[in-house]
Amino acid sequence: MMIPDFGEEAQYKLKESSVLVTRAGGLGGTVAFYLAAAGVGKLVVAHGGNLTRSNLNRQILMTHDWVGKPRAEKIRETLLRFNGDLALEVLAENATEGNAAHWVEGVDLVCDCPPTFEERYALNKAIVYARKPMVEAAMNSMECHLTVIVPGKTPCLSCLYPEPPSWWEPLGFPVLGAVSGAVACLAAIEAIKMLTGIGEPLAGKLLQMDTLAHEYRKFNIRRDPKCKVCGEL
Amino acid sequence: MSIAVRIPTPLQKLTGDQGEIQLDGEKLSEIIDGLEKEYPGIKDRLCEESGKLRRFVNIYVNEEDVRFLDGLDTPVKDGDEVSIVPAIAGGAA
Repeated sequence: MMIPDFGEEAQYKLKESSVLVTRAGGLGGTVAFYLAAAGVGKLVVAHGGNLTRSNLNRQILMTHDWVGKPRAEKIRETLLRFNGDLALEVLAENATEGNAAHWVEGVDLVCDCPPTFEERYALNKAIVYARKPMVEAAMNSMECHLTVIVPGKTPCLSCLYPEPPSWWEPLGFPVLGAVSGAVACLAAIEAIKMLTGIGEPLAGKLLQMDTLAHEYRKFNIRRDPKCKVCGEL
Repeated sequence: MSIAVRIPTPLQKLTGDQGEIQLDGEKLSEIIDGLEKEYPGIKDRLCEESGKLRRFVNIYVNEEDVRFLDGLDTPVKDGDEVSIVPAIAGGAA
């Protein structure tokens, strides 16, 4: 690529890299697509369940004729059609405390894109235990959050938010596909920066995007020495 | 004195869809009380019954998290921006 600091060496680093993307809908599906496009060597993509018609306003790996069928099969088909050199593992399940540690063990980096705090906290524990970096991306309506977690160096998700909001409904937040896609593209950029070493990742910073007003803020975020997940690191 | 308070999407239904409110005060607790006076019910979304900030809501004065400043006693001054940033988890259902 003809991007400053992104030469042959960075491209080889991507080729040698492996990334776990958890859930591959409006956010994770777009992340997976652009990581495949950038030449990441191996992707592990996890997303359970069958496609519903209402998913189609954002889940760009899916197709209309696939409604009612397992998302995992279409994820495999779409990503391999796009990049036939990709080493791809598709898991037809979502992250839990039971499977996250095993999944994280086998990759260099995680992109955290599910709609529930349970999954996000399970992945957070797993990456802290494995000392693996994670790109933490989330959206709600026209607002998005993005940060990069490096265990032991930056706050983990539990430092940032020790508890989930009582009002969060995993299937109740509004999604415009272009918004989940926008934060997904930025998350893919952060993943590529972490894997290649180019640029300055959003480590220790929380980027808050208000796409309605196009106001973007970066906050300084800090480790909680009393954090139950990473406080001992 | 005027301090801009940024209201996140999940709480804008309490502020009549306003994303920014201008308030006066000398410390964060006064700003929150001022919000509650104008938009009853919002304090309950930010603070526990004990008065402490809820653990899923971070409040930043300019770029800094008040949990690492003086919490609700964090001073604010004219021109400061107070951002309320609750946890969100929208991804892919």
